[in-house]
Amino acid sequence: MEIMDLMYLFNLFTASKIIDIGSFQLAFLSLDMDILSSYVFMVVCAGTMILAAAAGAIGTISVLKGQSLIGDAIGHSAYPGVVIAFMIGMALDPLKLFIGAIISGAIAFALIQLISRHSKLNLDATLAIILSSFFGLGMVLKSYIQGHEAFAHVSQGGLKNYIFGQAAYIKNADVYLILAVAIPSILIFIIFYKEFKVFIFDETYAKSIGIKSNFMYALMLVITMGLIATGLKVVGAILISSFLIVPAITAMQWAQQFNRVILIASLTGMFSAFLGTYISSIYPGMSTGPSIILVMSLIAFLSMLIGPRGILAKYFRRRKFINDKSNV
Amino acid sequence: MSNKTIIEVEDLTMAYSDQPVLWDNDVSIVENSKTAIIGPNGAGKSTFLKGILGLLPTLSGSAHFMGKAYKEVQAEIAYIPQSSEVNWDFPTTALDVVLMGRYVHLGWIKRPSQKDKKIAEQALAQIGMSEFKNRQISQLSGGQKQRVFIARAIAQDANIYIMDEPLAGVDKNTESIIMDFLNESQKQGKTSVVVHHDLNTLAEYFDHLVIINKRIVAQGKMTKVLTQENLENANMNGDYGLDVSV
Repeated sequence: MEIMDLMYLFNLFTASKIIDIGSFQLAFLSLDMDILSSYVFMVVCAGTMILAAAAGAIGTISVLKGQSLIGDAIGHSAYPGVVIAFMIGMALDPLKLFIGAIISGAIAFALIQLISRHSKLNLDATLAIILSSFFGLGMVLKSYIQGHEAFAHVSQGGLKNYIFGQAAYIKNADVYLILAVAIPSILIFIIFYKEFKVFIFDETYAKSIGIKSNFMYALMLVITMGLIATGLKVVGAILISSFLIVPAITAMQWAQQFNRVILIASLTGMFSAFLGTYISSIYPGMSTGPSIILVMSLIAFLSMLIGPRGILAKYFRRRKFINDKSNV
Repeated sequence: MSNKTIIEVEDLTMAYSDQPVLWDNDVSIVENSKTAIIGPNGAGKSTFLKGILGLLPTLSGSAHFMGKAYKEVQAEIAYIPQSSEVNWDFPTTALDVVLMGRYVHLGWIKRPSQKDKKIAEQALAQIGMSEFKNRQISQLSGGQKQRVFIARAIAQDANIYIMDEPLAGVDKNTESIIMDFLNESQKQGKTSVVVHHDLNTLAEYFDHLVIINKRIVAQGKMTKVLTQENLENANMNGDYGLDVSV
């Protein structure tokens, strides 16, 4: 018995050694408390996490509706609105730029609807032309005011941030704006949860029980666009749509129920925001937005591979099916 | 069975962009009947159903259900779309889809109650789908998907069932389950309007018939309407290799 006990202790000892070595190798995952407790980190983290949680949840609507790229088009199209709002207001006031983004995104969306209703162009072609022309306009306007003397006295440095995002400069005011958009968006989603559910699953039946498609599309647009416009400063016009799309893709690999898909999308979005912000804080030079998206995408790829609704699971199900058949 | 009209359609004209699909259709559906709608491909059968339910815009005409506009009585009318129109990859279970049949009875924000859940489970049991209640919908067979739709209509507890080709591409077992359901509903005083494609089972399954080919070719009791002449008038002759001996 004593020998057994000794062996047991020895095993415990070696096991703890292995854990030691493991944690040493994964040093960057053992969180640095100094960074975690710094005020700047907390503000940035709060901003990105709230945004990612809301965008993850709301993004499931457009992804399941098969319209993920509309978010991408709106994201790009919001940029000229930011520049024009800056030109009018002569300042980088987040709220004014937000309104500019919303207006420009809404115009782009209206054009997308108009073109797809009255022309034979495919939706992807329509999205491509709107996305590139609007974004192009934004770039042209930005380079125009860069050299223009009328704008020489105001700092324009921040405008570039709306293209690639600059999460590291999130301030308290930005967090409040994110909250002011995220909370109503989530509330709208909760209030119309069952309507959204039938609308996404079976639009014809939804209509037949009195759920108006136009109304649902409008709701979907309002909450999506609000989040996109808020997210511009954090992740930028180019990458913002990933906040909506990628967590939904992850969640769909794991869950079989709509409410769980929403929950998982929201949680993985939040977790990615935390980890991405953290990574960009300990490695100087890594931008926050792209880091978050890299973490998000990594989780999505892994889920597509190993999730219960992912590629490997499907492969094994098929093999089992074929084996069962050949055994009969 | 009375001869009272439960659905009255007048002058219904519909078009896709500039292509007219339906011309001046007057149709009366008899209360407590099992009415089949037949017609060649592209005759506008589905369009007709969508037109009377207000799911597609109409150019002219009106439809009344129990003397009222559709919106006033929509809870009492269960519509079953063609199964191809549904997003089958949506993450949800069979029971959840059936629960959607209760939504029309619930107000804003309200979630389905335990009672609603019970109704949905009974509906699944009625069409022999209890064991699949937690099954992901994408993993159901064609016939099972159709049965889930029927269960959703049962859960809606409607008075009129309007179905777009519920028997298309389903197995024999599902077909007889759906017909049992329609017969049972008729005994309970309900009315069903069903787009049907199989002329061989037509007279056996239904008692009233509407033949449509952009215009109404004929309508009324099955025994009177299902004639070689009417089928020829609807360009349905030969296509089906049918022996019409009614």
